[in-house]
Amino acid sequence: MTASTAETMHPSTDGVQPDDILSTAQALRWQISGDFHEKIVEAAYAEAAAIADSVVTRPGASPRLALDRTIDRIVTSRLWGFPLMILLFTLVFWITIAGANLPSRWLAMLLVDWGHPALKQLADGIGLPWQLSGLLIDGMYLTTAWVVSVMLPPMAIFFPLFTLLEDAGYLPRVAFNLDNLFRKSGAHGKQSLSMMMGFGCNAAGVVATRIIDSPRERLIAMITNNFALCNGRWPTQILIATLFIGALAPAHLAGLVSATAVVGVTMLGILLTFLVSAGLSRTVLKGEASAYSLELPPYRPPRILQTIYTSIIDRTLYVLWRAIVFALPAGAVIWLIANIHIGGPSIAEHLIGFLNPVGLLIGLNGVILVAYIVAIPANEIVLPTILMLTVLSTGMHEAGAGAGVIFELASQNATYSILQAGGWTLLTGINLMLFSLIHNPCSTTIYTIYRESGSAKWTAVAALLPVVMGLLVTFVVAQVWGLFVA
Amino acid sequence: MTQPPLIQPLIALLILALIAVLLALVFWPGSGLFARWRRARRLDERVLIEDALKHLYGARLRQRKPTLQSLAGAANISADRAARLVERLTELELVELHNGDIRLTSEGETYALNVLRAHRLWERYLAEKTGFAESEWHERADWAEHTLSEDDLAALSSQLGHPMHDPHGDPIPTAEGDLVYHGGKPLNGMAPDKPLQIVHLEDEPEAVYAQLMAESLYPGMRLQVLETSPTRVRFWADGKEHVLAPIAAANVSVRALPAAEAVDDTPSRHLDSLQPGESAKVVRLSSRCRGIERRRLLDLGILPGTKITAELISPSGDPIAYRIRGALIALRRQQARLIDIEHPTGEAI
Amino acid sequence: MTEQKSIRTHAACETCPVHNAGNLLRLGVDMSDWDYVVALAGNPNVGKSTVFNALTGLRQHTGNWPGKTVTRAEGGFEYDSHRYKLVDLPGTYSLLASSPDEEVARDFILFGQPDVTIVVVDATQLERNLNLALQVLEITDRVVVCLNLMDEARRHGLEVDDRALARRLGVPVVPTAARYREGLPELLAAVADVATGRTVCKPRRLRNEPPALKHAVSTLVRQIHALYPGLPNARWVALRLLDGDESITAALRNGELGDLTRGEPVPIETAHPIELEMAR
Repeated sequence: MTASTAETMHPSTDGVQPDDILSTAQALRWQISGDFHEKIVEAAYAEAAAIADSVVTRPGASPRLALDRTIDRIVTSRLWGFPLMILLFTLVFWITIAGANLPSRWLAMLLVDWGHPALKQLADGIGLPWQLSGLLIDGMYLTTAWVVSVMLPPMAIFFPLFTLLEDAGYLPRVAFNLDNLFRKSGAHGKQSLSMMMGFGCNAAGVVATRIIDSPRERLIAMITNNFALCNGRWPTQILIATLFIGALAPAHLAGLVSATAVVGVTMLGILLTFLVSAGLSRTVLKGEASAYSLELPPYRPPRILQTIYTSIIDRTLYVLWRAIVFALPAGAVIWLIANIHIGGPSIAEHLIGFLNPVGLLIGLNGVILVAYIVAIPANEIVLPTILMLTVLSTGMHEAGAGAGVIFELASQNATYSILQAGGWTLLTGINLMLFSLIHNPCSTTIYTIYRESGSAKWTAVAALLPVVMGLLVTFVVAQVWGLFVA
Repeated sequence: MTQPPLIQPLIALLILALIAVLLALVFWPGSGLFARWRRARRLDERVLIEDALKHLYGARLRQRKPTLQSLAGAANISADRAARLVERLTELELVELHNGDIRLTSEGETYALNVLRAHRLWERYLAEKTGFAESEWHERADWAEHTLSEDDLAALSSQLGHPMHDPHGDPIPTAEGDLVYHGGKPLNGMAPDKPLQIVHLEDEPEAVYAQLMAESLYPGMRLQVLETSPTRVRFWADGKEHVLAPIAAANVSVRALPAAEAVDDTPSRHLDSLQPGESAKVVRLSSRCRGIERRRLLDLGILPGTKITAELISPSGDPIAYRIRGALIALRRQQARLIDIEHPTGEAI
Repeated sequence: MTEQKSIRTHAACETCPVHNAGNLLRLGVDMSDWDYVVALAGNPNVGKSTVFNALTGLRQHTGNWPGKTVTRAEGGFEYDSHRYKLVDLPGTYSLLASSPDEEVARDFILFGQPDVTIVVVDATQLERNLNLALQVLEITDRVVVCLNLMDEARRHGLEVDDRALARRLGVPVVPTAARYREGLPELLAAVADVATGRTVCKPRRLRNEPPALKHAVSTLVRQIHALYPGLPNARWVALRLLDGDESITAALRNGELGDLTRGEPVPIETAHPIELEMAR
């Protein structure tokens, strides 16, 4: 700022005081009609229109506008709209899965298979006490490395692809096509996009709800985003489906059956999204204000390099950073509960024993519940934690990597035998798949919901509603199972 | 490896069902224990006193004589209880008795205006800032008016930009107790062929109010009476003819407009009837489009005179994308119905 | 995003008469000791962030989404040996303060007293964008209009006469295509001219208020001018008072409005949480 004066007194000439002006205004307000606000908007727009008319000329028909129109007709047509959409998104998911496979394995090799022993060796070399090296390396480092290697590659591929579609202007058309479906459950068509983003990562999905400019619909999208099965939960679903459901079918059909099971769980998630959206909009969110509008911007040629750069910086690294911040303490907790002993057994074993009855009641077990509690920060580490805790609680010291060291096994048979030793049945498998879909969002997502909604109340609803639903669903399944199958 | 189940599955399921039934008993909307408790609270002394004052004030405005019976009816209590209530009100010097007449003292009037202010501000709040349906406003405001403190009201008023009227067109008393009454007259007494403007729609009884809503009437609406007979009142407004029973018309207050401000008699239809390829000019935004929804449409430049062209229909039939001031904007049919347009031009595709 | 960049840009076109974009030093988040404050206003999805990023060297991604609320960004740049602080306001369609975003943008332009306000407008949708520009002109004189997305306008076969527009608005108008860095040197030059006072704006003010309001407005304007003779936007203030605008009422009552007559910024909390909060 340039000018500044030392004067602090307010000039008041002719005896007019601010309060006089205010009372004049108040008196005048009773005389003018209520819709004058709109009259002002009208006047401004009329003037804007007059100016725009006088300075804009359209020398010829625009080929671009015609092209935009043609594209619009195709991507929103009754015939081609939906097939095109399905095709594009299948392509995006396929590229993500296919493309992430190798880098994920490399990262796991580098960070887990190679980095972890190397660090342990280094710690031994400099004579670090085992407690410290256990806590830091087996606990915090390993857990974080795990999260990074599972999470980073798919996100680094999925988000830029999604952003490219967004920048080109295609995604608003998707929202346009799907809006009717979402309208019926009281939601906004743009929720289809935040949901799709949620298949990559729920925290990113919650951030993506910013595009929904109506308060009620935005809250609905945030609260239900968790029902989109995220990147961290896919591996659990696939492994459990293969071990427990695929195994039921004859060998040549096993792959198909387990894939169907995973797709079924995903579909159930989408169904729940609609059901819960409808329920919320008719009950607790009934009073939130709502205003629909969806602008379909002109198509723009996307700028690929810049998009990749910014979407990696903004979305991927942002989500990854949050995940790391939450994974570090989780790693410490996992290691500590497995290694601190109170009167013989470790804290983990005490907890497992304590929660086991509850677990069995809902067709799971104590190990799974403890794993879900300590693995709140990231769904990626649920399965390794379950394996570690199962080995710990059944005393199979020949398997695994030691107390508090999470692991996974290359061999499915070995994994299956550990789980069997832990008392798992087909019911446990089915209920774990259900519970993995319907449980509280990870802490990164919860925190993101809090940041985005600015409301502790709606954050609590978003965190507690799914976990209560999950407990109910697994309970009913377990009891009905007990009634008919066992 | 299977452990024996902790509880028999059947028993477990029964317990769950029992819990579900219990929760339903407590929280069922309308008839659950929680709802009953809330209704019971309505019989609190504060609520009764305030309802009584409101009734007395309202009766005076309508130049009717309040009686113990009418008071009992308004507060939903027995005549005995109403008598005791009046006694209490006289004790508090809010009410005086003059040969059988129940009259408000000046303190009583100030108090009544404050309750009225709370009620109307809250209705305005519900209309502007929340998504509650119009039919819910009155009941919710009836509840809220007894819970708001003076500070709450001041904060609410400033948050709403110190509104002068509630959504039914009634003036909101100021914090100082000033109230400018709209001075309207009932519609059924008006002579035909004069331009009139609705200043108020009475929201009680609910059944009659629903009729007025069904006719899409709103405060500020301009109209011209075509015919008044003992059986019906026929009038022209917003591009079409409306018919009301005299009892409903009595709940519509109107004032005369200067003859220069003639009633707009262009016939109009709703935007959702526009076919792709057709264009039309906006005549008005319905008054039922309120709060952020109305502001959104204004922001998008949907104003009287704006030309709108329908371009695309979603494959599932709703929403429809319109070309508005150069931008392509999708609106749902439900919203498009709140926008009145002139007869379309151009060809449907 | 804490990286700080100070890369010299290549002048967008060496042959331009104004190719002193070479004088642009992008300071990223380094905003210490600024000489001038520049506010960046505009409708959503008009490339406001692109302009911001191009000037500061920061990177802020917002998609091709109208109505997307972004977190507010501040950045700095140095041009012609003056340091500028650039404040990116939330994208809004109007400044009537009917949403938290609009209030933040409006309060900053009014009370923050930026030395220059750049209004980014979409050349392909001039009508809707001028609505906001006209509202900004009601509040402040020191405005530069950045006529962005000229590349798209050309693609859509539109011709916009920027000189005629400048004449009608009474402030400098610079056509740009920020995505391709076209026109940015001219934009900087125009901003510097307004900031240093080399260009004096004579903005167009809305005059055609509804007849029913004329009396009310002129009564209030007379009183306001009696109290604050130098207030440049008395008519606008009068309209806001009639609309029951709480923050203008408060500013009048506590004298902040009077401070504006002397070009003194009112210390508002610039850390107004612009990050979207659900209005509740």
